[in-house]
Amino acid sequence: MNPPSGGTSPAAPFSRLLEMLRPDLVRFAYWLARDRAVAEDVVQETLIRAWKSRDELKDTAAARPWLFTIVRREHARLYERKRLPTVDVEEVEALGDPALASDGDSGLTDLRRAIMQLPDEYREPLVLQVLGGFTTAEIAAELGLTQPAVLTRLFRARNRLRVIYGLAPAEDAE
Amino acid sequence: MSAADLDCRHVRLAIGADPGHLAPEIEAHLAGCAACRRFRDETLSLDAKLRAALELPLPQFRRRASPVRRYALAASVVLALVVAAGAWVLRPADALAGEVVAHVEEEADSWNAHELMPASAISSVLNTAGVEFDSQLPVVYAAPCPFRGRRIAHLVVQTAHGPLTVMLLPHVHVTRREKFAEDGLHGLLLPAGTGSVAVLSRAAPIDAGDADSMVSAVRWVK
Repeated sequence: MNPPSGGTSPAAPFSRLLEMLRPDLVRFAYWLARDRAVAEDVVQETLIRAWKSRDELKDTAAARPWLFTIVRREHARLYERKRLPTVDVEEVEALGDPALASDGDSGLTDLRRAIMQLPDEYREPLVLQVLGGFTTAEIAAELGLTQPAVLTRLFRARNRLRVIYGLAPAEDAE
Repeated sequence: MSAADLDCRHVRLAIGADPGHLAPEIEAHLAGCAACRRFRDETLSLDAKLRAALELPLPQFRRRASPVRRYALAASVVLALVVAAGAWVLRPADALAGEVVAHVEEEADSWNAHELMPASAISSVLNTAGVEFDSQLPVVYAAPCPFRGRRIAHLVVQTAHGPLTVMLLPHVHVTRREKFAEDGLHGLLLPAGTGSVAVLSRAAPIDAGDADSMVSAVRWVK
């Protein structure tokens, strides 16, 4: 917000940046947690932590991966701190979480459910890549993996999702 | 490695891993392999759907009870019992309280305003925010702030008990009055017709009379 007397608060651009990126942070947190309320909690903690650490962000162009990283850490911290039960995928399916529904596009809904059912080790790099815009090298650094390991996980994630659209899976690399 | 050295299995591994960023040798293989080109096209098509699938519609993201929230509530109950002072201090686990606190902390300079705002400036802010605020209390700060997708009026008024930040939220409905405290700020979320009013103080818990006067001063106009 700009004070009415003129001038701009130095914090305002950062606030606008958070506001702009918040929707994707919520989405990312949801795909990590597979629970809407937990995702909201994670993002709230993320925004507070980001705000307190805003001086660490030297380049706003890097804000997106920086915030995604904080989401990952806050998500892990939340489960560590609260000892939350892990989400049972079958239960999520049974609940028919409306967040997964898509108006008039059952294929999209099926795809969301299929993503939801991917093992964490496949789902997380895929979401980082497609939603977060991370390169495979960045994903490797983020997850503490080698780049070939990331490539394999991404390949397998997509390979599993191909069947949703009736596409034959590719031969896996062993 | 040249394109000729690559077999289709390795090419498809590369495509399946990162279809948007293919190395030149992969592209070279594709130029001469119709089956792999088809695989690439299928994968790119899948990725477009994947992107749409991951971009969940956020309006469907509203709160429901979560384990975290239940723990927070339990912790608050314990705290209230321990202090036994009748003061219900709720940490802003609630999203709205947290967002209000974050916003006010961002605008920390607003607390330092002391000069009476010109009526025209206040009117401009209120018009932008689609609200009327009929209070006799002096307004020393007024600005139209982005909050949850629209411009709201962020005011600081001087009261007998010190300055209060008042955020007029026509688009945020709350069902009951809630207190919260965080980072040295005392706050109240107050129902106000179809919207709500957030009131914050740095000095002390907010006087009930001051809070009531804020709500009665508000009228949503659009």
